Amino acid sequence: MIHTIRVKTIIGRDLVGEGILHDIHHTLGQKGVTQVESAKVYRLEGISEKDAKVLAEKVFCESIYQKYTLNAPILGSQLVFEIAYKPGVMNPEVGSILKTAEDLGIKLIAADSSHEYGFYGPSTGSTTLSTSSLRVEIEEIAKKLHLLNEMVEHFVTEEPKTLLIKGTPGKTNVIRLRRMTDSDLLELSQDQLFLNLEEMKTIQNYFQKIKRDPTDLELETLAQTWSEHCAHKTFKAKIILDGKEKEPLFTRLKKEALKYNKNIVSAFIDNAGVMDFYEGWAINGKAETHNAPSAIEPYGGAMTGSGGVFRDVVATGQGAKALVSTDIFCLAPPDMDKSKLPPGTLPPDYMLKRVVYAVRDYGNRVGIPTNNGSFHFHEDFRAKPIVLVGAYGILPKAKAKKGKPRVGDVALVIGGRTGRDGIHGATFSSGEMTERTISVNAQAVQIGNAIEEKRIFDVILEARDKDLIRVVQDLGAGGFSSAIGETGAEIGVKVHLEKAPLKYQGLAPWEIFLSESQERMLIILTKKNLRKFLEICKKYNVEAKELAEYDGSKRLKVYFGREKVGDLEMKFLHSGLPQRVMKAFRLPSVAQGLRQNQQIKTPSTEKEWIKFLEETLSGGDSNSKEPILRMYDHTVQGTNVLPPFAGVGLDGPQDAAIIKPILEKPYGLVVSHGLNPKLTKEDPYWGTIWSATEAISNYVAVGGDFKNASLINNYIWPNPSEEWLGKLDASVTAVCDFMKTLKIPVISGKDSLSATYRGSSGVIIHSPPTVCISVFGKIPDVKKTVSSDFKKVGSTIVLVGKQDLKVYLKVLPKVLEKMHKAIISGKVLASHDVSEGGLITAIFDMCVGGNNGVNIKANAEELLLETAGCFIVEVENETIAKKLFNGVQFKILGKTIKEEKLVVDKLFSADIDRLQKAWTKPMKEIFP
Amino acid sequence: MDETYEGDISMKKVNVCILQSDGTNCDNELFYAFKKFGGNPQFVHVNQLRSKTKSLKDFHILALPGGFSYGDDVASGKIWAIELISFLRNEIEKFKQRGGIIVGICNGFQVLIRTGLLPFGEMGKMSATLAPNSSGHFECRWIKLKAEKNKCIFLKGKYDIGYFAVNHGEGKFFSTPQVIKKVEDEDLVVFRYVDENGNSTQQYPQNPNGSLNAIAGVTDPSGRILGLMPHPEKFIDSTQYPNWRREKISKPHGVFIFEDMINYVKENK
Repeated sequence: MIHTIRVKTIIGRDLVGEGILHDIHHTLGQKGVTQVESAKVYRLEGISEKDAKVLAEKVFCESIYQKYTLNAPILGSQLVFEIAYKPGVMNPEVGSILKTAEDLGIKLIAADSSHEYGFYGPSTGSTTLSTSSLRVEIEEIAKKLHLLNEMVEHFVTEEPKTLLIKGTPGKTNVIRLRRMTDSDLLELSQDQLFLNLEEMKTIQNYFQKIKRDPTDLELETLAQTWSEHCAHKTFKAKIILDGKEKEPLFTRLKKEALKYNKNIVSAFIDNAGVMDFYEGWAINGKAETHNAPSAIEPYGGAMTGSGGVFRDVVATGQGAKALVSTDIFCLAPPDMDKSKLPPGTLPPDYMLKRVVYAVRDYGNRVGIPTNNGSFHFHEDFRAKPIVLVGAYGILPKAKAKKGKPRVGDVALVIGGRTGRDGIHGATFSSGEMTERTISVNAQAVQIGNAIEEKRIFDVILEARDKDLIRVVQDLGAGGFSSAIGETGAEIGVKVHLEKAPLKYQGLAPWEIFLSESQERMLIILTKKNLRKFLEICKKYNVEAKELAEYDGSKRLKVYFGREKVGDLEMKFLHSGLPQRVMKAFRLPSVAQGLRQNQQIKTPSTEKEWIKFLEETLSGGDSNSKEPILRMYDHTVQGTNVLPPFAGVGLDGPQDAAIIKPILEKPYGLVVSHGLNPKLTKEDPYWGTIWSATEAISNYVAVGGDFKNASLINNYIWPNPSEEWLGKLDASVTAVCDFMKTLKIPVISGKDSLSATYRGSSGVIIHSPPTVCISVFGKIPDVKKTVSSDFKKVGSTIVLVGKQDLKVYLKVLPKVLEKMHKAIISGKVLASHDVSEGGLITAIFDMCVGGNNGVNIKANAEELLLETAGCFIVEVENETIAKKLFNGVQFKILGKTIKEEKLVVDKLFSADIDRLQKAWTKPMKEIFP
Repeated sequence: MDETYEGDISMKKVNVCILQSDGTNCDNELFYAFKKFGGNPQFVHVNQLRSKTKSLKDFHILALPGGFSYGDDVASGKIWAIELISFLRNEIEKFKQRGGIIVGICNGFQVLIRTGLLPFGEMGKMSATLAPNSSGHFECRWIKLKAEKNKCIFLKGKYDIGYFAVNHGEGKFFSTPQVIKKVEDEDLVVFRYVDENGNSTQQYPQNPNGSLNAIAGVTDPSGRILGLMPHPEKFIDSTQYPNWRREKISKPHGVFIFEDMINYVKENK
């Protein structure tokens, strides 16, 4: 039997209830509801009533301010709604409940937890309406507010009889593939395999040749290995651009990158790129999108996005420690008219809140500081938003490369159990999103368990330091299929799927093999290290099971008990995929440089200027994100040397993150990024150059040395039609030109070429093509860095760099070098890069941090040009400025003043306080 | 073998047990803080105390770091507190009797409160709580803290104001008026959140969580246990402070806590 305990706050505020009421009043504008109360629900199976009481009093209820009921309602309202995770969706809290019961000597069979909400108000008290019609009304409200996400949660309408999920193991089916017609093949591929006809036929031919039909597991394994997500078919395709054959995009990037290898430890081969650091250490970095799952369940999607990138960084070489993460979100504007939302998509304000809460709830728990990020708003992100997470780590250089599995080595799965969640993640994220996506691919979404992830990181670091690990591989997209298939590609491997610990029974072997359940890692080691390794797992409460043995067969052999459920030649699996030949055409470059976005009428009067500045500063991309950043932990690990905000009131935004990875050493890791979807949409080549220049300028502005930096590029592009592929080609050329200009390499990257939505009515929405360039690198002394807040009154303000409609690549290295030398000389008091919003918003940021003002001379064009690669610098006086920047273009703009005003000679004088109010207002309203 | 995993314990040194559980994540910076000021910190996982591979007997200081032990499930620090009560109660009592001192920071403070060790030193009897922040969410910011005259035996009387980082979602010190009065009357309050003028404040965000009487840290009647929500271990190098580039810092503000603890042990061994 199940005992249900309900807990409610009785002294002090019911913050959850108040929050919902606020949203009902403000978001929905419905004043009918006057009060919302909330309670927490715990269900406990297999214990006596006495034990349930013990748990209620010792664990669930703090009588100082709460009360509880046992098997009875607790909320007074007639309209109580309970929202719980659907059976089968992992509730991270359950493990802790079982553990704490065991500590108290109480043996639970199963447990669950959920939330209850009670609603009050005039309409709910009305006698003319029946309770059932009121229930419908409130249910509508709950759905409109997305109090529950039907992907993963449901209303509990009756008490469950058991919390255990039962099932008998599913069977392995043989798919009669050899006899299928082309249309049969396509039908099989749609919604499930996401392969094209040529690829389906290649598989068909293979099985015709070996004279048998494939099992479902074999077919799924092939689809996963050959998915765009895992195989990067477009980046590896032969491209015919305007009739001329070109080398694959990936080959071009790699060839150019490897020319600049002085710091490269490993590039393009591991889960993250690795570069040299100091004293035998190396640093690594990776950025990855998690767009498709986030589009349908932003909270779970963004969480698992963070979790996946963290695991990529930790599963580099023989294990790394994750140091810092960045979060970049491209969404539709939160105030967009909801009628513009296509069917099957979620409202942008809800998306924004949920992705932010996901970063907060996952990153903070794993203990990786989130020190850098950005938001970019555009209506065309309304169907397919971008959720891009970057992570950076440190590892001993001697252990920065993976070993190769040897015959006799074993593979263990450690961490979370395998469930049905996340199945088809790899293939799904490679497909276009349609209205059907949200209903058909529900299992592609899951909720992360940050503590499980933290535990496995603890195990890996200790095992690495004890020399126990040969290979550590993330179980991410494609699950066991991908990780075991890849690590065994050269020598072959035998897998025993029945050994995998499962969340619940009832999974078919192919589901176990393909599952993308989070927080699992594959550890490959020699058998003699097994015992020691398992001891470490035990210490950290991490479950570990031997799953596979590398056997020299050069085949992927998969068993479920005695039954052989898959047997594929590694050669076919990994080299059988036909190289794509893709046509592309290039439109003439429209912009031939940066957009002159000041087509907006330049303000003429002071009043117009102030209004214009208020509008610019309150705009989505520019407004202050401080309320968000205050929910992200950026001080955990104690390594942060430049926080996202600094200055007198700790509210001046900074350009990049600086981390001191080894607390007792002065060495710094600098991390920044740049992207500009609006510009890349307009001109893929110059937009890409702008994004990369913005990234490196952010990096240099704080004191980063561009010569000791590495780049990461992430492509988020609409499905590669001939036109979009032509644009992608231009963007890749831009990245190669950028590497050539600065003589630094891209060492990691990822592409997600499915930013297209197709609705049933023929609506097609292409998200703006986006390339995000991330920069990370090393500096010998964190003390030789600078923040953006103005430090003094009466000091000189300088614009360094050439303002124009495009970035002059030729002068860029010189400007960056001058900037770097100036900063390490210690003579730069403050520095900030010029970005969206132009010079005037950069100066505004610096005034906010310094609690002072400026008096400058500049014309309207100079104030507003958004030329990346330019800097605003504060130095003591003009003489110093001339000495520091002699040899590059620079201009003395004016001086800092005590009065908190932006004074521009002959144009306007604006109160910073007033502008600051406009700048901080939008996000304060969304995140009160 | 790496000293961070198997350390050398000699009773000549000031041995600090940095206790870890699933989800502990401020352990490295706490380790560094103790080490920097002459301590001999060791990482000890709670399972190693359970399996008796390590023992509190070997330590002078027990330090519970910040983090999200067991994910903050049910309530922050709750699951870990119950674990410690269930198997370590006697050992902790003996540790105190031997003259050991205990410090809990952030999640460590939440654990000490939920074990009942703070504020009244009664393990198994919870008298106060650290409830969800009044803002309704996690707060990561720097606040001002003032130490005041208190019963803690190892903190020397320095009633200065300092800047500290707070990073928590559940830090509102809360209890019945009687308990709060007793905590005040017995000089158990060690730290309060203060405004620019150094006065204790209920104003958000200077008081980041809505703690009653702006209480940020407390000791127990023996003065051997200290718990606080802010993080002294995150400000022991000047560069850890956000405005180190614009303000002169003669001594990072978290330093005195570690120096005082280590000196106390040295003087009283």
